[in-house]
Amino acid sequence: MAAITLLALGLAGAAEAAMSRGFNRLLDAVVRIDVREIEFTDGAKRISGGVGSGVIISSDGLVLTNAHVVSPQAVEVSITLASLERVNAKLVGWDHWTDLALLRIDLDAVKRRNLSFTAAEFGDSDELFVGQTVFAVGTPHGLTRTVTRGIISNNDRYFEDSRGVNGYETGAFNTWLQTDAAINPGNSGGPLVTEDGKVIGINSRGYIGADNLGFAIPAKVARSVAATLVKTGSVTRSYAGIGFRELQDLERFYALSANTGVLVGNVDVGSPAAKAGLRAGDVVLTLNGRKVDGRFPEQLPPIQQTIASLPVGSIVKLGVKRGDQLVELSAVTERLESRVGEEWAFEKWGLTVRKVSRAYARENQLTDETGVVVLGVQPGYPAAEAGLARGDILTKVGSKTIAELAQLKALYEAYEAKPEPQLVEAQRSRRISLYVIKP
Amino acid sequence: MKFHRCALLALSLLPFAIAPAAPVADMFNDRLKSVVAVEFFVQAETERQPVMVLGTVIDHAGTIILPGAAILTGVAPGQLKDFKVYRPGSTESAPAVYLGQDAFTGWHFVRVDEKARAGLVPVTQWTAAKNEPAMGEELWGIGLRNKDEDFQPYFLSSRVAVTMKLPQKTVILGSDVAGPGLPVFNAAGELAGIAQTSFGQNFLIFSRNQRGNPIVLVNVEESSVVLLAGEVLPHLGRVPRSVAGRPIAWFGAYGLQPMDPEVAKLLKLENQSGVVVSDIMKSSPADQAGLQERDIVLAIDGLPLPRLKPDRVVVSYFGQEILRRLPGDVVTLSLLRGASRVELKVRLGDEPKLVREADRRYFERLGFTVREFLYNDGILHRASPGTTEGVMVHFVKPGSAVATAGLRPDDWVREIDGAGIKSYAQAMEKLAAIEADKNRAEFVLLVSRGGETQVLRVKLN
Repeated sequence: MAAITLLALGLAGAAEAAMSRGFNRLLDAVVRIDVREIEFTDGAKRISGGVGSGVIISSDGLVLTNAHVVSPQAVEVSITLASLERVNAKLVGWDHWTDLALLRIDLDAVKRRNLSFTAAEFGDSDELFVGQTVFAVGTPHGLTRTVTRGIISNNDRYFEDSRGVNGYETGAFNTWLQTDAAINPGNSGGPLVTEDGKVIGINSRGYIGADNLGFAIPAKVARSVAATLVKTGSVTRSYAGIGFRELQDLERFYALSANTGVLVGNVDVGSPAAKAGLRAGDVVLTLNGRKVDGRFPEQLPPIQQTIASLPVGSIVKLGVKRGDQLVELSAVTERLESRVGEEWAFEKWGLTVRKVSRAYARENQLTDETGVVVLGVQPGYPAAEAGLARGDILTKVGSKTIAELAQLKALYEAYEAKPEPQLVEAQRSRRISLYVIKP
Repeated sequence: MKFHRCALLALSLLPFAIAPAAPVADMFNDRLKSVVAVEFFVQAETERQPVMVLGTVIDHAGTIILPGAAILTGVAPGQLKDFKVYRPGSTESAPAVYLGQDAFTGWHFVRVDEKARAGLVPVTQWTAAKNEPAMGEELWGIGLRNKDEDFQPYFLSSRVAVTMKLPQKTVILGSDVAGPGLPVFNAAGELAGIAQTSFGQNFLIFSRNQRGNPIVLVNVEESSVVLLAGEVLPHLGRVPRSVAGRPIAWFGAYGLQPMDPEVAKLLKLENQSGVVVSDIMKSSPADQAGLQERDIVLAIDGLPLPRLKPDRVVVSYFGQEILRRLPGDVVTLSLLRGASRVELKVRLGDEPKLVREADRRYFERLGFTVREFLYNDGILHRASPGTTEGVMVHFVKPGSAVATAGLRPDDWVREIDGAGIKSYAQAMEKLAAIEADKNRAEFVLLVSRGGETQVLRVKLN
């Protein structure tokens, strides 16, 4: 008995030494990220600042962080290394669906200033077990290099959020790791690691006001997205327009044996699936010939991912059960787009806008993608004086229909050169109003 | 509150005591005969809401008008129960019947039982003031206390602050002058108008059990807004021919927006008002006449739309111009379409079925009320016009089987147990069968909500 205990202690001691080596190496790879980015919310282009965390994942200075920490609207990204030295970094790629962004440290500066850093190692997030001890490392509330400890509370957490990343959709294609290691604002983008310092997740969010309910993107997802981002800067996904829902409790109603098929909860209007004839209430039994099992919500992201990972323009063959009938439908995928379109500020008008995207038009039951949505107006400026307000969709200026943001930019340039009153047409819940923007 | 009112009464009496006209107390007591309190119930699925409003007697047949706000739109006439009429200061009530709502004035009409008509005097008996009340002129009116105080009448008076066109001529006084729905007089005892529900002073009561749906609109006891006699008297004959308030003229454009004065200036339409047309319902009279989105209506039957303040009032003006007409009437609209002027003749139609007229049925065991899918529902759900598919959820009983399954009021039920619903009758048949089958363990609904669909599984027992 005593011998066994001693042996166990001995092993633990050796393991601890290995762990601390790994853990120290990890600590040298965690960075603080200070970002200044453009915001278009209040009718003006404003610069706002934020703090987050990141982890260096390669010797050539790639840093993984959250999409909600560094976005394409960032104008300045500064990295604080473990040595507390600061260097700049540039955005390499961005993917709000998985809430990941990839940065590259200014290596010239690192060399010139004779700085050094370490790259962290990834662990296998599939091997995690619930109850396993993990650590979160990052910059909560600006407190650089904070380590908190907890366990894996759940390794297959499903949540989808249509505006989770600064208004962008997230979470449709992966499940998340849940941990009770304290995760606070500023921890975002920092690594969740095992005791030996292996990165098994990227901390991304927590329930505000709840105790120790934090979520991380699994390393498996992070590694694969990072690999794509470094090559192409973004992740291209296929879109079919199907809103899947779990079949749980409905198998008997649909006369299915358990663990067979997934329910179609919704089909986007005008989407490839709608064109193919898929309807809400259908049950998809097979996807490109392979059986589908969507009994539980946790199984939905992998099904969505199956479609998303196909090249754009692929044929998706759906084996569908509709009532007593079995039908075969096939849809041709489109490129997946966000509901958030390009944003811009027309400063002399005191007006900030966002392009109506295809997804936004669908979501709001608009007839097409014409127009730009007003994000904000500045009080006292021409757009506000005219009566435009947040949420209006600007569809026409003078006699020109605004199909593209570029058209509005051109009209604005003409106005800047020669300010004259402009007749503007805007819609709010499809009601058309006319306004005049005056110099 | 009670004592405060008594003090006001005493103070206000003084200036009238020395007025040369009949003593104000005499005038007050005479004119009380044109004033009643009306009590009724709104019967909802699971509860009953008492409503107390004030009304003015308009003829010798015992007809009484109540303010439009007395009954919420969407409440079916069949839900209105036990109308009772009380004279001021009395505990005795007389039964009355509900006659319906007039679309143009918004008034609800009730008629009191023959036996109770003897002491009533129509408001038309009092000479109407020849001139509009001047700014600063003092007007007076009647207020009635609540039922627990036997509808005790009391005197109110105030001075005219401003006269506005909203679009009808309306005076706003410095403070409360009468109970809403009751007549207002000048110093000579002539009828100046009828007090309206005051702006921003009515509120909705929400059911304790049924979240989201207001069940009754409550008016405060007194009003400082008076619709002038000239806007009231010509329309007292608009007693609805049916309880549904039909016929109602229908134009068929949903989103009308006022034309901003700056826009008028830019379009070189100074001193001209207009409404911008959008959301024209397919196959409606407006659509059939060829009205297009973005047309700006400048005149009706040759009469230019007036410039009213605030800008929005011109939309009400346009709406009332339609409602004062009858289905089948032809209106000529003068439009600005792009840069050209267009004349258009629109033959008004008959307003499609309203929510208050829709067939509906409450399924107690399932816990919800279903009603017909109406033309107007199609507009809200952006369905193609004339869609009759599916039925609408009108009420969901809290804690019921369907509530637990996540069904909400205003959900559009497209399928029941996997079968597409083509008509109201079909839905009734299916739901009645489910309701009656005590062995049923579950059923499934496919509903549409905000453009998204959902499959809901309802567990019974």
